[in-house]
Amino acid sequence: MGKYLLRRFIQLVVVSFIISVLAFLLIHLLPGDPATIILGPNDTAQNKAILLHQLGLNKPLWQQYTTWITAIFHGDLGQSYLNHQTVTHILATGAPIDIELIIISQIIAFAVAIPMALITSRRPNRPVDNVATTGTFGMLALPPFVIAPILVAIFAVGLGWFPATGYVPFTQDPVANLHNMILPSLAITAGSIAVYYRLLRSDLISTLQEDFITMARSKGLSSRFIMWRHAFRPSTFSLLAGAGVNIGALIAGTFVVEYLFALNGLGYTLVQAVYQRDYLVVQGIALVVAIAYVVLQFIIDFIFTVVDPRVTRG
Amino acid sequence: MASGNEISRRSFLSRSAVAGGAVALGAGAPSLLAGCSSSSGSAGSPTTGSKAGVGTGTPKRGGSLTVGTLADIDGFYPPSNHWDTNGYNYANAIYDPLMAVATDGSIQPYLAKSMTSNSTFDTWTMTLRPGIKFHNGSDLTSAVVKANYDALKVSLLTGVALKQVASVTTPDDMTVVYTLTAPNPTFSSGLTTQVGYVVAEEMIQAVTAHPSTAPKPIGTGPFIYSQWQPNDHFTATRNPNYWRTGFPYLDQITFKPIPDTVQREASLRTGVVDMIQSTDPNTINRFSGSGGSNYQLVDTRTGVIGQPTVAFLMLNTAVTPTNDLRVRQALAKGLDVATIQRLFGGGFAKPINGVFLPDSPYYSNTGYPTFDPAGAKALVNEYKAQHGTPSLQLITITDPLLGKLIQIVQQMWNQVGFDISISQVQQANIITDFVAGNFQAATIYQFGAVNPDLNYVWWSTTTLSPVGQIGLNFPRNNDPQIEAAMLTGRHTTDTATRVTAYQAVNERLAQDLPYLWLDQYLFSEVAQNRVQNFNNPILPDGGAQYAYNEGIFVPTQIWLA
Amino acid sequence: MPDDRELAGTHASEGLLVDWVPGTAAVDELVVSRQSESLDSDDLLVKKPLGFLFWLALGWVGLIVLLAVIADLLPLANPNFQNYSAINAGPSVHHLLGTDDLGRDLLSRVIYGSRVSLIVGFAAVTIGMVIGGTLGLISGYKGGRMDTWLNAGAFVLLAFPAIVAVIAIVAFWGHSLYKITIILSVAVIPLLYRVVRASSLSFANRDFVVAARTMGASSTRIVFREILPNVIPAAVSFGLITVAGVIVVEGTLAFLGLSVALPTPSWGNIISEGATNGNLQVNPYIMLWPVLAMFLLLLSINLIGDRLRQRFDVREGLL
Repeated sequence: MGKYLLRRFIQLVVVSFIISVLAFLLIHLLPGDPATIILGPNDTAQNKAILLHQLGLNKPLWQQYTTWITAIFHGDLGQSYLNHQTVTHILATGAPIDIELIIISQIIAFAVAIPMALITSRRPNRPVDNVATTGTFGMLALPPFVIAPILVAIFAVGLGWFPATGYVPFTQDPVANLHNMILPSLAITAGSIAVYYRLLRSDLISTLQEDFITMARSKGLSSRFIMWRHAFRPSTFSLLAGAGVNIGALIAGTFVVEYLFALNGLGYTLVQAVYQRDYLVVQGIALVVAIAYVVLQFIIDFIFTVVDPRVTRG
Repeated sequence: MASGNEISRRSFLSRSAVAGGAVALGAGAPSLLAGCSSSSGSAGSPTTGSKAGVGTGTPKRGGSLTVGTLADIDGFYPPSNHWDTNGYNYANAIYDPLMAVATDGSIQPYLAKSMTSNSTFDTWTMTLRPGIKFHNGSDLTSAVVKANYDALKVSLLTGVALKQVASVTTPDDMTVVYTLTAPNPTFSSGLTTQVGYVVAEEMIQAVTAHPSTAPKPIGTGPFIYSQWQPNDHFTATRNPNYWRTGFPYLDQITFKPIPDTVQREASLRTGVVDMIQSTDPNTINRFSGSGGSNYQLVDTRTGVIGQPTVAFLMLNTAVTPTNDLRVRQALAKGLDVATIQRLFGGGFAKPINGVFLPDSPYYSNTGYPTFDPAGAKALVNEYKAQHGTPSLQLITITDPLLGKLIQIVQQMWNQVGFDISISQVQQANIITDFVAGNFQAATIYQFGAVNPDLNYVWWSTTTLSPVGQIGLNFPRNNDPQIEAAMLTGRHTTDTATRVTAYQAVNERLAQDLPYLWLDQYLFSEVAQNRVQNFNNPILPDGGAQYAYNEGIFVPTQIWLA
Repeated sequence: MPDDRELAGTHASEGLLVDWVPGTAAVDELVVSRQSESLDSDDLLVKKPLGFLFWLALGWVGLIVLLAVIADLLPLANPNFQNYSAINAGPSVHHLLGTDDLGRDLLSRVIYGSRVSLIVGFAAVTIGMVIGGTLGLISGYKGGRMDTWLNAGAFVLLAFPAIVAVIAIVAFWGHSLYKITIILSVAVIPLLYRVVRASSLSFANRDFVVAARTMGASSTRIVFREILPNVIPAAVSFGLITVAGVIVVEGTLAFLGLSVALPTPSWGNIISEGATNGNLQVNPYIMLWPVLAMFLLLLSINLIGDRLRQRFDVREGLL
């Protein structure tokens, strides 16, 4: 166990290092720099030189990189060149929003996909199954930026059940927080529902053909009992793998929903920082996102070892 | 408070106002506006009875107002930020400017008590009001004003706006004397802008001590800074010791940036915010008639002092093919502006033949080309015979509304024989392109100003530079007649001469055609009915203040019913 | 199932870097082997022809592709022509699907738009499959150092926030159709790599492969003659799903202004147009038609993929 954890930790460190270099290079090689953004039309050669010097951006690239990395080890991720927020603060306020979005949307996704798959996998290719399949593909074809305005038009402006935008931290007012987060979460959950449903359904269908299921049936166990106790657990592999990939993609992929619902999450902040060449913000968020991805995979793999003891931890 | 010299902020990917969107206020040499429109009124309001934005009944104390804005402010320290109209809305909550614009266009003292100049207009004396305190209890003295000036002067961003000031002295605690490098009868108008906002010395010292942090904002304004979560919200609470006794009525004001216009409007309708700002003409349409029956709508179709911001296409006179006058003429004649106004501008047709609109004293028949596709084709053919088909690229920022516009323009120009390609550019890059002259044709919004001299830097021959180098005269239009006329307009004290001068500028622009006028760039604000008196600010010494300055409102006199 | 390589000795090195991505590799293998198992069982109990829906789906895909190819020959309006007197017109005889907010014929735009979406979708996945799939095929069989490093590379690629890279590359490079295609193909390479690798791995130690090796077949021959045919069903199935995904992603890029340049239509940018500027309330048709077309296409593609997988998977363990 110890060796396993050590190996995963080293993996985390190495991946983080590589991502840090990649993010740094990518954003620095983009044409333009924060001085141009800040100076706007005052962007004379003279002013630019002064500002770049002030920001420490006239140093050679490798030096800027090492300065950044050493600062991280002192807990200093730097700050935005534009509004001077510290990157740490940006992460501290943005991460909870994204985490919450992901958690709520995934809970909804599992809560819808799992029962649906359990029901339809028993009778594949029957009407119920076809309706479900069609429905989920409908959801896949509607990306978040299409679903969100529809949801707002119907449920916010139309019925008045939810506010159109807004955010209250969970620690401040849980009820208001959830009230605000429902529509954004619904907007991103559709794709997840579709993916999870398809994966679980196909696994369930195959599991149900296995001998031990036939055995259970012959013992006279009820269908529901079989489904839940025997069939479900071994059928979750694809689902888990899919969850790993899907959630991984969501970690920095919520920017459209953040923009539309005026949520101050990391996705949109990251996108904006790229456009504004806010180097330290981009690097900091990219690094944290990558770390989150690695940790997520670690968790998924761990769940795998729990669900199926045959999987070795290596 | 004449800003409006800005490039569109309405961009998906630019929530922060500074992201290339705000062109710094170049000028400091505006001229006193002579007798302009005096209406401080609002556009036809959907609410029956009372006028939109003008409060009825007795003001009530208390309550909290939430405003949905287009973007966040980038920072509260004048020397290190670009404030566009959106930024000014934030600033007006916690700061006061030294001078302000009245509804007759005159510049009146606000934080200052008086402002006079000598007969040669190169020495200006300002006296301050006694007894004004900052939010931290410190007094407003001339030393503080000088400290502000010193910080602004050395700043890379604001220094250029104060270039005309040679020195500032403080003969006593309440007096500030500005000595200019050259006579300028309109100097005081610059103090209605970003460089006229006064912050406490404590804030300046905080910045000096920690240069790259955002200091806590300390001003003299009606509200006190409470909390700023960038890109989420900004909150300020009532200043109980505000020097304008009786104000403000509100207990608290909160600004929430909501970048998507449709979502911002939905936020108003679902009660998330009480009031919104918009630059999308469709907002006006959607809140007129039955759509606006529980709201008050104010917009800049009426009530503009000086020149409103206009949307136009900018042509680079220093690169092919737009360096050829025939090409520019053809491009002008090929534009069906009426249709563009209908499709893109919400349908509020207003003929535009120059930088001054019909209700301006500087308006004249400039001879600007009208829509004439046949004439355009002829010119194109003439050019084609010599140089081949003229092809050029039309650029704009990555904004859905502007994307629509350039597709319309592309078809119109292609139909008269051009070969037009279009491109949407990231906002940060487009500013660089403009400043360096790396473009052929582009969309832009600019030139809103209380008086025309504020636009000097964009038209002057002194801000010309070759393509590839920095120059504020973006289209590189080299017209000495415009330069002479602008200077005449600045220095003369005779109204008639000034009118003639600026009319000449407008007529030269119609000849040179660096700008192809499209439409007025409309600002609008919509508020729920309970938000009272948001469009009716009063100056400290009495008299009506310019209420809705190209998207800038004043929060001091607002109350909630 | 997991890590049979250790038993077969197909990798040379031991040490810290072995099982570089132990969990995820094992996961992939499990997933693919479960899918393969299902095929046996499906076949035993549910042996039916491809079915009416399959042919319907195939017909729809064929129709879309055909229309995209012969679009120029059809009597369609110019997709970019703006008719200012027919703004936001509903479906009528003149415009079968109506017009958009600039007066452009929607039927024409949807058909021409399918070109971009189909090219981006299929080309990106094809390139990704050729590169990622081949690497996965070889890597899954060979194992060892190459496998470890490739796994690490794929992992890093997936961990990096893709949107940053896309914005950066488009800003740097520009956005024409082929550039967008290449960017997206790079994005799908790690996904296809992993799936094909897992599939390849699950076959790497089957009896027939071992037999071929003992008979002295070279690695190349084994990979391409023994393993590849077995891997194709899973690869094609997943590939088709990825096509669907890429087409949707193109839509999001269009929303951000990062897709093909205007006024060229793509389903993505028509949908984006329909969802912004308040068009949803004024003219929902703009959004409706491309979404409907995309929905039917996705449905068809996945149906085809499913049925093909069920029907044509090579039985395993013949030896």
